[in-house]
Amino acid sequence: MRRKPTTAALVLQYSILILGALFAIYPLWFALIASGRVGDRLYTLNLAGMFVPLEWTFENYRTMLFDKPLLTWLRNSLYVASVTTVVSLVVTTSAAFAFSRFKFYGREFGLILLLAIQTFPGVLSLVAVAQLLTALGLYGKHEGLILAYTTSTLVFSTWNMKGYFDTIPVELEEAAQIDGCGPVQSFVLIALPLARPALAVTALLGFLAGWGDFIFASVLVPAPDSMKLVVPGLYSMANSQSVPWGYFAAGGLLIIIPTILVFLFLQRYLESGLTVGGVKG
Amino acid sequence: MVSWSARRKALTILLFIGPTLIGILLFSVYPIVLSTYVSFTDRNKFRPNPDCTVFLTGLLEPLCWPQFRDRAPVGLGSPYGLQDPIFKNYADLLGTMFTPTALGSMFLMVLCFLPLIAAWVLTKRFAKLATPPVSRTTLWWGGLGLSLVLAFALNIGAAYNVLMDTGDFVVVVGRTLIFVIARVPLSFVLGLTFALILNSEHLPGRTFFRIALFIPWAASSLGILMALIWQFFFREQGTINQVLSIFGLTGMAWLKDPFTAFAAVVLVDTWFSYPFFMITILGALQSVPHDVYEAADLDGASWWQQLTRITLPLVRPAILPATVLTSITAFQMFGTAWAITQGGPIQSVGKPGATEFVIVYAFKQIFQTQNYGRATAFAVILFIFLFALTLYSLRMTKITKGAFES
Repeated sequence: MRRKPTTAALVLQYSILILGALFAIYPLWFALIASGRVGDRLYTLNLAGMFVPLEWTFENYRTMLFDKPLLTWLRNSLYVASVTTVVSLVVTTSAAFAFSRFKFYGREFGLILLLAIQTFPGVLSLVAVAQLLTALGLYGKHEGLILAYTTSTLVFSTWNMKGYFDTIPVELEEAAQIDGCGPVQSFVLIALPLARPALAVTALLGFLAGWGDFIFASVLVPAPDSMKLVVPGLYSMANSQSVPWGYFAAGGLLIIIPTILVFLFLQRYLESGLTVGGVKG
Repeated sequence: MVSWSARRKALTILLFIGPTLIGILLFSVYPIVLSTYVSFTDRNKFRPNPDCTVFLTGLLEPLCWPQFRDRAPVGLGSPYGLQDPIFKNYADLLGTMFTPTALGSMFLMVLCFLPLIAAWVLTKRFAKLATPPVSRTTLWWGGLGLSLVLAFALNIGAAYNVLMDTGDFVVVVGRTLIFVIARVPLSFVLGLTFALILNSEHLPGRTFFRIALFIPWAASSLGILMALIWQFFFREQGTINQVLSIFGLTGMAWLKDPFTAFAAVVLVDTWFSYPFFMITILGALQSVPHDVYEAADLDGASWWQQLTRITLPLVRPAILPATVLTSITAFQMFGTAWAITQGGPIQSVGKPGATEFVIVYAFKQIFQTQNYGRATAFAVILFIFLFALTLYSLRMTKITKGAFES
């Protein structure tokens, strides 16, 4: 590390790294090869065929995009995830601002309450949530899902945003108040623009709550096919014996690869947004 | 603190916090209350409907409220009522856990860990001394050896089997704890190894490996799809057996055997979770000053000594919260096990399968067996357990410290 490492150490380090990288990437690479295989020939008895694409066709991708409801699922997922993002942003930032800036009775209790109820596993509240949504007439509708997802993001996002607001000096708002700014104005005009990195994280978390979820989506919107979100849709496809696995691989990659790219692109940004706000030791 | 007039302030606060409060009350607090109530009833597949004439049911079930009553599903099934005796669901879950034999077995198991605990206490005590009478390594190995000897002498296998026969609760929670104990250290060691290598400067291609090793975490937001791809490796006709057959070996049905199925779930979940440790440790390593190592080099400290005496203690503040967080997530893992084994393989009918961890068990109880009463009783016990654990870990890691002083 400090000194120049010996050749033996270098060889060891590189072999660990290469093995690790293979471990990390191979499942995706395998799915990529399978997605390009002709027909439903999943397997190849050829050792080389496991590691390099010996044959390639876009047939699976074409089927997924045009003959299967993948695009409908995708549209549903995008709709649910983006509305969740917007609602969750509005709700959590304002609550976080209040928790950070106002002193009021029950403030500490509220913050602790948020953490405490988070420990109740989401799956186990699903029966009650489903009943509530049935009563409200939202069961089986995307709007019900949006409500459920938004509440699932409330705790973490509020805590994270509050942590970030705490780092913004309050003097700015006091100056604005002297100039005649009300609380809503100083929230919208001063605090929000300054909290942009944390806003990005909150938005991403809200989006991911709807984008990657399986349990809520498959229980609260069980049918029909045209209403499903993309993850439960693909899951049902992978588990049915009649659908070739190549279709699933192609459809799955069409979703997974963009998600990974966005993550890699936002990586540094994410880390700083998370560490500045939220949980500090 | 900004100060506005009292009435205006109260209104503003309500405006700001109202939506969050309503959301939390409806979708988090209310489910907990309803679940607690249902856990004392005999609600199941055949008795799904609320009996609105019972006072508490009428109060808690939204479908009993006048404005929603017409939305209640009509038709099959009879209404549910209170269990008789009222703790029956809990008793079924816990089974024979509190009989003398089961308690005795539990005591024996705890006894086996005593040498390890003693080793831990002694290392803490010796850490303050300048010249410890026994070195730390000796202590730990001694403790471990004694534990193993004790386990053998006390016939722990038999005690384990007794416990596994008591009821679903012990089986499921016990398996989940074993899963956490296997998975968290595994991802920690992997993450630490990669972080240490990636932290050295004399390494061309560092950025490439950093990105490649980070990919599983990026994919984990779509965890269930990735786990389905992984599942394909372990199938009877899957990739692993294909490779084996090329070398003339016959593979096995990896997901049909309890042990290998368990190992498969651990492996895949490690794949998802090691990058989190890697990133956390890498971040912490950046702040470790270089001159400390230079001084250690001059004093002739070995690589291992530098790791255990300098690096690990310095990055400890960052690792501790990460470990607690990962442990809690691992305890509530659902997607990986569901996609790979669906909780199976099941060895005997009516018993939880080998990879049926807590959330998988709850999910199956609710949506397959539809035994709501028992599932909610399980939820309530779990909630109490997790709540205590979270409060303890918050105190330990002081995550909330900054939040209440401002």
